Amino acid sequence: MSESKVSAPGFSRAAVEELSRLKGEPDWMLQLRLHAWEIYENTPAPLGRRGDLGTLRTVANFKFQNLNPFTLSTPPHPTDATTEGGIPKGHTAVNRVPTVSPDKSGVLENVLEELPLENERSGLLVQLNSSVVRSELREDLKLQGVILTDLDTAVRERPELVQKYFMTECVPAATSKYTALHAAFWTGGFFMYVPQGVEIEEPILAQVWLNTPLSATFSHTLIIAEPQSSVRFVQEYNSLAAGEDPALLSDVVEVYANREARVEFSNMQDLGQNVWNIANKNAIHQNDGSVTFVIADLGSAVNLETIGAGLQGNGSAAELVGVFFTDHNQRYAIHSLSDHIGLSTNAETMVKGVLTDESRVEFDGMIRIRPKAQQTASFLSAHGLLMSKKARGEFIPGLEIAANEVSASHGATSGQIDEDQLFYLMVRGIQRPEAERIIVQGFFEPVLQRIPLEHLRTRLRRSIVRRMSGGYETEADTWIDAQERWEIEGVDEVAIHLDDSTREGNEDIKLTEY
Amino acid sequence: MTSELVIKNLHANIEGKPILRGVDLTVKQGEIHALMGPNGSGKSTLANVIMGNPKYEVIEGEIWFKGENILEYSPDRRARMRLFLAFQYPMSVPGVSVANFLRRSLEAVREGNKSLEEGENPSGKMSKRKTIPPGEFRKLLQEKMRLLKVDNSFINRSINDGFSGGEKKRAEILQMALLEPEIALMDETDSGLDIDALRIVSESVNALTGPNLGILLITHYQRMLNYITPDYVHVMFNGRVVKSGGKELAFELEEKGYEWLKPAEEENGVSADVRI
Repeated sequence: MSESKVSAPGFSRAAVEELSRLKGEPDWMLQLRLHAWEIYENTPAPLGRRGDLGTLRTVANFKFQNLNPFTLSTPPHPTDATTEGGIPKGHTAVNRVPTVSPDKSGVLENVLEELPLENERSGLLVQLNSSVVRSELREDLKLQGVILTDLDTAVRERPELVQKYFMTECVPAATSKYTALHAAFWTGGFFMYVPQGVEIEEPILAQVWLNTPLSATFSHTLIIAEPQSSVRFVQEYNSLAAGEDPALLSDVVEVYANREARVEFSNMQDLGQNVWNIANKNAIHQNDGSVTFVIADLGSAVNLETIGAGLQGNGSAAELVGVFFTDHNQRYAIHSLSDHIGLSTNAETMVKGVLTDESRVEFDGMIRIRPKAQQTASFLSAHGLLMSKKARGEFIPGLEIAANEVSASHGATSGQIDEDQLFYLMVRGIQRPEAERIIVQGFFEPVLQRIPLEHLRTRLRRSIVRRMSGGYETEADTWIDAQERWEIEGVDEVAIHLDDSTREGNEDIKLTEY
Repeated sequence: MTSELVIKNLHANIEGKPILRGVDLTVKQGEIHALMGPNGSGKSTLANVIMGNPKYEVIEGEIWFKGENILEYSPDRRARMRLFLAFQYPMSVPGVSVANFLRRSLEAVREGNKSLEEGENPSGKMSKRKTIPPGEFRKLLQEKMRLLKVDNSFINRSINDGFSGGEKKRAEILQMALLEPEIALMDETDSGLDIDALRIVSESVNALTGPNLGILLITHYQRMLNYITPDYVHVMFNGRVVKSGGKELAFELEEKGYEWLKPAEEENGVSADVRI
């Protein structure tokens, strides 16, 4: 029988202490949490700037105190020897996923069955609410010293790594009020360590599931890739709870790519529209380290997301591919930062999104080139396609350049769908709604082509078609056939035709040998 | 039964400005009509209005196709009745491959003359749709490409994206071959083509002509008519068809230009402008 431990509503110092006690944590972690709690209490919530679309202010007014800070699940057989204080340790992970409400478990298992087969993945992690309930890693990788586990286990077994890397340099606890809250209340969490020279071919899959309204879930991912190692990590956020009651997912992703390490991190967020998502993802690059972030955001009521690349090491490279699709009353505020610090670094950011209904999206993409970052190449493009007159998009690129040997360009546009393109497709017999869907598919194609994992790409294509009202299942199939099997070549990324009249005042800036 | 496109006293405006001022024209399946006339006479507007381009406002008149007045029909429904327009300036649709687009287009056209309401249930979801298996479609497409001598690499590129002028026009003809219209409007298909491309495109059109295809070939040069022999030639001037005749009319136009056809009442054309 599964049980769960639900805290009383409200975040407080006492709740921090209770959580840490229930988990049986060492004192240093309790102190880390309490310190973060102090920062949280003493830091004002960010409010954005005057005249923006107001997403930050909306988050600041969110009633955090109505939420339960944690919902710890216990496995069906809580008799395991390593269980302490009724709370299981993640490495005792059970074979089936327990859920708080038994009638939902079927749903969850069905979803898990849709995962790629075991031989197409190297490992699997599943977090349900505040607890990691499943963790698997291929035996041969374990023998090579790879660690894939929940963060509680890592705190206990590899404290030196957690102390060094957890919310210290990549996403410091004091980054914002919300990261401080995260540091004080993190639960569950994924920990991955890839030793020097180990290259993991098949991806690691990680899933976070929320099924309890009026609760907060903290998801933390810490990936440490030692020199010359490589790993692909695919993470998904989903929720099963329907209804009006809000829930919170606060997630932090920290990626350390040491010398010549390669990390590919993909994240698909498909949370229910009662979930508020506050996300911070960042990477630290050492010399010649490279990190690719593929971020697909489809769900949540509000999505406040910061994605960064800290290009400290010489010759390091970052790529950010972002896809989003908003509808109803969804509000997104996405900030990206390519922070060029080392010599001869390279970054490319490419974001595309479709806005329908009354949704609002603010995108702020910054390229920062520090004084010593000579021979930097950095590019950013962000395009929003507005499918409804009531949708609002603000796409703002920023450049701060303090070095002189730099090649950087950025461009951001948002606009309505082009009527001439629509007429062209309609004259070929295609009804207007489908013609719109085809144009949207084409709009997304250049970013989808950048997603290295076929499984994720296909899922995303299906989700996009499903999100557009009236889409047939067969449309998704036709699209996948055409793009995956027939293969398309040389999609021109900048040639997307947008109505010029709604183009924002951010003209492309090209700086070469500035 | 032979399909007929009948245009009666058609008046149309763009942004309040009258362009068509009473066009009468009939095109039957199996016939080739050339529509000539100087720039600005309303030829392209006519093609757009026949297809239902929402930029133009029909003020008066009727468009009949296969015995139905299609004026209120959406462009896609007109296309599904097997009316076709080869665009003068085909739009590019980046990220959508020619193969993907053509397959969906062919599926749609094969569904036939259905209004949006019939095709979709109230939730906006189509209950069912006949799809063409990829293998069957590929075979059909390759057959048409062989017929028109179109390069295979074509189909994997984005629609008209980065196509040369000649490639765009050939892509239009390929679509025409695939969709098998009963009446095709070809809007300035010869424009922007060098002499070799013009010959190739014209040969492609000739390969498609026959008793099942009626063509309205819009051009302001006679040169395409060296390759494609029209059954009828019409001259448009200031929003009206002012003269119709056999193919010899085209040669006459080539020789004398358009001025001699300028109708007398258009001398004080102001009156026509203020009428609306």
